[in-house]
Amino acid sequence: MSDSVILHVSDLNKRFGRREVLSGIELALQAGECILLSGANGAGKTTLLRILAGLEKPDNSQITVAADSPRSWRRCRKELHQRVLYLHQQPYMFDGSVRYNLGYALPTGLKRPIRNRMIDAALDWAGLHYLHDTPAKSLSGGERQRVSLARAWLRDPKILLLDEPTANLDQEARERTLDLLKSFKEQGISLLLASHDPLHFSSLIDRHLHLYEGRLVMIEDSKLMSIAATQADGSLRSTA
Amino acid sequence: MESLGDTTLAALNLLLSGNPELWEIIAISFRVSGVAILVATPPALLAAFLLTYKRFPGRRLLISLNSTFLSVPAVVIGLTFFILLSRQGPLGEWKLLFTQTAMVLGQIALAFPILVAMGHSALQASDVRAWETARTLGANPARALLTIMREARFGLMAALLAAFGRIIAEVGASMMLGGNILHYTRNIPTAIALESSKGEFAQGIALGLVLLTLAFSLNTLLQHIQGKGHPAT
Repeated sequence: MSDSVILHVSDLNKRFGRREVLSGIELALQAGECILLSGANGAGKTTLLRILAGLEKPDNSQITVAADSPRSWRRCRKELHQRVLYLHQQPYMFDGSVRYNLGYALPTGLKRPIRNRMIDAALDWAGLHYLHDTPAKSLSGGERQRVSLARAWLRDPKILLLDEPTANLDQEARERTLDLLKSFKEQGISLLLASHDPLHFSSLIDRHLHLYEGRLVMIEDSKLMSIAATQADGSLRSTA
Repeated sequence: MESLGDTTLAALNLLLSGNPELWEIIAISFRVSGVAILVATPPALLAAFLLTYKRFPGRRLLISLNSTFLSVPAVVIGLTFFILLSRQGPLGEWKLLFTQTAMVLGQIALAFPILVAMGHSALQASDVRAWETARTLGANPARALLTIMREARFGLMAALLAAFGRIIAEVGASMMLGGNILHYTRNIPTAIALESSKGEFAQGIALGLVLLTLAFSLNTLLQHIQGKGHPAT
């Protein structure tokens, strides 16, 4: 295994009843790499992300975090919680202001002035200063997405898992989200994002993996470009 | 026999004149029920959390059993603890029968299933993403647990108030386990039962007014808290 691999998963399986959702998944994530994960609805994208975030138990798997030796999911769950951050498709906002929500990502023992400075920096980073005292539950979808990314930024994870981060967002919100994701990548944070829209993330992604019948399939750049071209073609035709 | 109006006036007079015996009974009631609710709440909420968030064999059976205990009359709880705490009982050596501690035990047993059932409903109604978001943002299980309690606080507060209202007004367990001893285990409901049986309605009505005022205050408080949680739009 290469030194730059920060998360390696092998032989990962997951069943829901009699249905095998993930079968023998093998995945290596490099430091600072961005992988796009596509697949049909119900293909298991969310399940895979949740397993990698330590939120859902696989039936079996071997996981290597950083340069450690391979261990079962249960044994490295704590480490996954420490290093990996998962963002729901519709991010959850705690009852309280945007500032409260951002502060949640910081260590509890932090002194108030330092805490406030860090929260201000996160508000600046995500362009959210005008919302700092707004109740987070009243935010729009795009604003929620930015607050959740700012929370992640404060938490400073090694790996960020995103479940359809731009679904149901308007064009402007999608562009802003993309800019923030690029900023994460520039900081060397690895991204694994599930999306139906590879074209939108083409400037960000290094690899494109497709989940098909429980297995991961690598999609070559040329194939990605052809998908992008087909999509662009389709949208041109539909607007014509 | 005096009219209801005269008796109520006499009751108000007793309350407002600061009758020491009456206020001592009220203080005992609040002390016993307050301790019972304080002791019962943490384990009950933990149980509610486990029933909501953890999947384990027998979980559904436990939920059904807890719901069954909701409908057990207070006097049956009193009888059970009476047998346990009486001299010949397995816990007779503790010499707790006819003490405030025995009353607290009985009231814990009454409050616990209410707290678990209503706490379970409140947590079930809250969003599971709250727990997951807390965990993925680095909160340890204890902090994540406090977070979801905070998120579900309005429902949990309702559970607390309902349980407190139930135990401070129950007569069966308090009578059997406390023995209705003046200055020691006589609380509001046992005093009402005693005074009514003697035909002394003024004190009974005065204590009844206290319970009514308490019920009204708890409900007003609950409405206020819930109003804060869900502002009209």
